[in-house]
Amino acid sequence: MKRSVTRRALLAALGGLGMSGLAARLPGGPRPASAQGNLANLGPEEPVDATVKRLFAGRPIKDGSSAIKLDLPLIAENGAVVPVTVEVTSPQTPQSYVKAIYIISDKNRRPLNAKFILSPASGQAFVGTNLRLGESTDVRAVAELQDGTLLAAKREVKVTVGGCGG
Amino acid sequence: MADIGRVRIRLPSSIKPGDVIKVRVLVLHPMEIVERKDGKPVDKNYHFINRVVVTYLGREISQFETSQSISENPFFTFAVRATEPGPLKVTFFDTHGGKYEGAADIKFG
Repeated sequence: MKRSVTRRALLAALGGLGMSGLAARLPGGPRPASAQGNLANLGPEEPVDATVKRLFAGRPIKDGSSAIKLDLPLIAENGAVVPVTVEVTSPQTPQSYVKAIYIISDKNRRPLNAKFILSPASGQAFVGTNLRLGESTDVRAVAELQDGTLLAAKREVKVTVGGCGG
Repeated sequence: MADIGRVRIRLPSSIKPGDVIKVRVLVLHPMEIVERKDGKPVDKNYHFINRVVVTYLGREISQFETSQSISENPFFTFAVRATEPGPLKVTFFDTHGGKYEGAADIKFG
């Protein structure tokens, strides 16, 4: 192939690079593509029904209150730190395992708290973390099995002081 | 926050081969929440952990997708089937490109 890069084209390209570098540093200018924390990249603010619809696309969710042990305090004094554990009865073998556990709190502005993707090597479908809850709310745990079955369990938590700020 | 990204992992004190153990892990991180001005959310690159990857014996065994509705200094517990002695590694990724790693050795005895 013939080399067609002229001095003029090269300078123009370099100039463009310099400009874009400068713009990225200016406040209000275009942001770098790695800005994952921008509003557009967060989960949307939506009611919980919309979250469930977005995540599971209307697939039927079965009552899993017998299979899922969702452990939460009845009353959380501090909504900023609410311990939760989810345990799903499952052999967790390659033939039958829990693929993912979702923790959703109904009244948070962005209801999906976290999604835990598990594998048979986990040995047990068990996860725990600390949640931030904005107000008294139902918290649900949804377990997705390897065949796509969805199971859900729900618990209410009374929150004395909300933990989400604004 | 000089300590940001420090990871602590706790394993049970005695592990037998084949046991399913519960691992507890904590990372120091601000998990910045959305700011509001006049009721409208402010658009900026919020600093929080959005991905956690757990590997055992070099293989990925689970992955957590987290959001700002996880508390400051996030704490997680999860289960692992301890089949062989070897390293258990937990890596946290945040929205500012930060990567924080903690490791523990699974030993039998």
